[in-house]
Amino acid sequence: MSDADAALETALQSLVGGQGSVQVATEPVGASEVSAWCAVMSEANPLFVDEAVAASGPYGGIVAPPATLNMWTMPVRIGSDSVGRDTDQPQQTAYQLLDDAGFTGVVATNSDQAYEGHLRPGDIVSTRTTLTGVSPQKQTALGTGHFVTTEVAYANQHGDPVGTLTFRIFKFRPGTGRQRGDEPVDDSPRPERPRPRWNQDQAWHWEGLRQHELRIQRFTGSGRLVHPPVVADPTTHDMAYDWVVASGRGFLYSWTAPEHPKVPAFDYPLVVGLVELEEGVRVVSNIVGVRPDQLEIGMPLEVCWLDSHDDVTLHQFRPVRPDRRTDTLVRDDVSVGDRLPPCPIDITTELVTSGALATFDHQDVHHDSDAARAKGLPDIIMNILTSSGLAARWLGDWAGDRAVFRNLRIGLGASNHPGDTMTMAGSVTDVGEGGAITVAFVGTNSLGNHIHGSAELALPEGSQGAEGSA
Amino acid sequence: MWTPARRTAIVGIGATEFSKDSGRTPMQLATEACLAACGDAGLDPTLVDGMSLFSMECNYEIEVARNLGIPRLRFFTMVNHGGGGGCATVGLAAMAVHTGAADYVLAYRAFNERSWHRFGSGVQAHHQSPEANDVSFSWTSPFGLLTPAQWAGMFATRYMHQHGATSEDFGRIAVADRRHAANNPAAFFHGRPITLEEHQASRIISDPLRLLDCCQESDGGVALVITSAERAEGLDREPAWIAAAAQGVAEDQWMMRSYYRDDITGIPEMGVVAGQLWESSGLGPADIQTAMLYDHFTPLVLPQFEEFGFCGAGEAKDFIADGNIEVGGALPVNTNGGQLGEAYIHGMNGIAEGVRQVRGTSVNQVHGAVNVLVTSGSGVPTSGLILTSEGG
Repeated sequence: MSDADAALETALQSLVGGQGSVQVATEPVGASEVSAWCAVMSEANPLFVDEAVAASGPYGGIVAPPATLNMWTMPVRIGSDSVGRDTDQPQQTAYQLLDDAGFTGVVATNSDQAYEGHLRPGDIVSTRTTLTGVSPQKQTALGTGHFVTTEVAYANQHGDPVGTLTFRIFKFRPGTGRQRGDEPVDDSPRPERPRPRWNQDQAWHWEGLRQHELRIQRFTGSGRLVHPPVVADPTTHDMAYDWVVASGRGFLYSWTAPEHPKVPAFDYPLVVGLVELEEGVRVVSNIVGVRPDQLEIGMPLEVCWLDSHDDVTLHQFRPVRPDRRTDTLVRDDVSVGDRLPPCPIDITTELVTSGALATFDHQDVHHDSDAARAKGLPDIIMNILTSSGLAARWLGDWAGDRAVFRNLRIGLGASNHPGDTMTMAGSVTDVGEGGAITVAFVGTNSLGNHIHGSAELALPEGSQGAEGSA
Repeated sequence: MWTPARRTAIVGIGATEFSKDSGRTPMQLATEACLAACGDAGLDPTLVDGMSLFSMECNYEIEVARNLGIPRLRFFTMVNHGGGGGCATVGLAAMAVHTGAADYVLAYRAFNERSWHRFGSGVQAHHQSPEANDVSFSWTSPFGLLTPAQWAGMFATRYMHQHGATSEDFGRIAVADRRHAANNPAAFFHGRPITLEEHQASRIISDPLRLLDCCQESDGGVALVITSAERAEGLDREPAWIAAAAQGVAEDQWMMRSYYRDDITGIPEMGVVAGQLWESSGLGPADIQTAMLYDHFTPLVLPQFEEFGFCGAGEAKDFIADGNIEVGGALPVNTNGGQLGEAYIHGMNGIAEGVRQVRGTSVNQVHGAVNVLVTSGSGVPTSGLILTSEGG
């Protein structure tokens, strides 16, 4: 480490423990902003938007979704990457020192929200921030840098505490990451999957897949469905058939996850499932967006598509987004080890940009693909408040309207880029006294784990049957 | 139903050493194994007039016949579907000598399955024609289901789900095989038993199959001589009489991928074989003292106990517990070490072990072994045998 780096570390450490002055949001918590947030996250909890329902709910009126805790004080930064540093705030001073030393890159790595009260439309949020830690210089995949941790206390206009946020960012020197270039680069074209072969007895099936139709052979005399196709109805020997287009919905009947030998045409972990379609026949297909340890025989699946060759499309299956439960889980219905139904979330440009805007995050890497590429990213990336909002929505879909979030702790890893799918999965890790349960979860995309974390939820006491639970 | 009626027999068994790299061609292995089998029987190889093979045999009968100097072959055949055909080669040979189509028939398998062509390397480059046999792989290969272990994994997951079996239950098959192999000087894993913990620690090959659920890959050859009771009298060995021999294919049969049946936790083609073996021999499960059950993958051993009626559907995990299938248990299985422990010779080594049990010469001899069950590949069109010391 250079003398300059050593001096920087000393300066940074001297800031730790410092607390800034109270900052007050310029705008109140707004009902229309909450509505927009719910729309983007696909959050259907009426307690956030419906006054009539909320009045008799656990909060006695509409509240803002807890995951929005820190968005009401987000700085507006249109037209500039970097707002002026407020030297009254110790973390801003730390950021400035790091910027000046060349650690200009920044990623959010952790967000631990703990909720003590509720924000309601019209509330004015105020914050007091403490710089709680600066790590020694670390080498990560992104580069050399320092983790900076702050703890922010949130209150409403009455001075009532509403929650705290422990927030960690990584400030790094761009270009100092562990480069893929250090490893031998394999730029040979990816081999194709084994090519399916067909003849006129099955060509209609493969033509259907090209058109995103999963066609199942139907013998016109008996109405019998057969898959894989044959030439004659095994019962009547009638050779006249057409096909039905399957709904694309089914459930997992069995599966295996090949690991050895690995074939270069495939990504691993690879899951090959036997899917029983609603129509009653089975098909072998990849199960995507879900890891082997998240599979459950019987889990609902829906078709999606893979263009595997120039002239071949394959069906794939993925978990179905679970329905939101209409009642609320009660504590007696939940046991440690219970699994939450996996939920795929398609990452679209629309979701990334509208999520960033709905959470007042105007950094260009969340909406401007050219700007993102200029910073070495392949495309725009989802912001942390959208990721936490989606996680909260998925947890709420599982637990029900009246489950009260006590905290939401997340860490971020592989970025969510448009075109990918993130699948949420998790399980109950603790069932405590007073109806509090803890869920550990992970959101996985094609690059790895995008989000991992845990949430504590308070559930109503008692037992009302676990219909609809995982 | 035809019955060999304990009037045909296996009178000679021969084998090469079992290795990972024989250093010789499969043709040499085949020739050595056939000469050894004839030598064991005390038979002049030039008297052989029949050859009974099963598919994936690369040493055709005419090549072996050239090496053995066989002047004429009157009966030769090749059963389809690889490992399912092992016992069928003996069954067809018995049929041939029973009917007079041949006097002495050789059945064999010889390959360098480890050092040359590994069956477990996958079919990703195969099946490229539009003919039905190749097209059948289009329903699985594009999704990465390419090897026998992967095909078997699909059955294993469903079996576990439906019957409450666990990976440890599969492991008990491997532990039994390796215990028997440890005592068999001819076994590749001689002196190397495994524990259930070692099975559980072995790496995943195709979840839920672990490495130690999968048979080894082997170089080697095994040959058998089959003849009639009349001709057996003039030979050196006590005949291992063939009490029953049968083949089986069941409804909606696929090659290792019969995924479209109502229930995929059984092996109904093995049930077709079982029904014929019991009826043809007049025997039942209680009459069997030891069994050589085809064990390419342990999860496909369990349903064999069920199909043959040693226990009810889904009960194999209980049947095999507590050492019941090890020497000293009620039904010792794969006393040579099976294909996990002795060698993977496509099941032909299991038939040879069945002969040794009937002769009373196994290194893991089951006392009082009179009737021995032998099966071939599970999950494919298959076959089976009951060998017995009582016949002639």
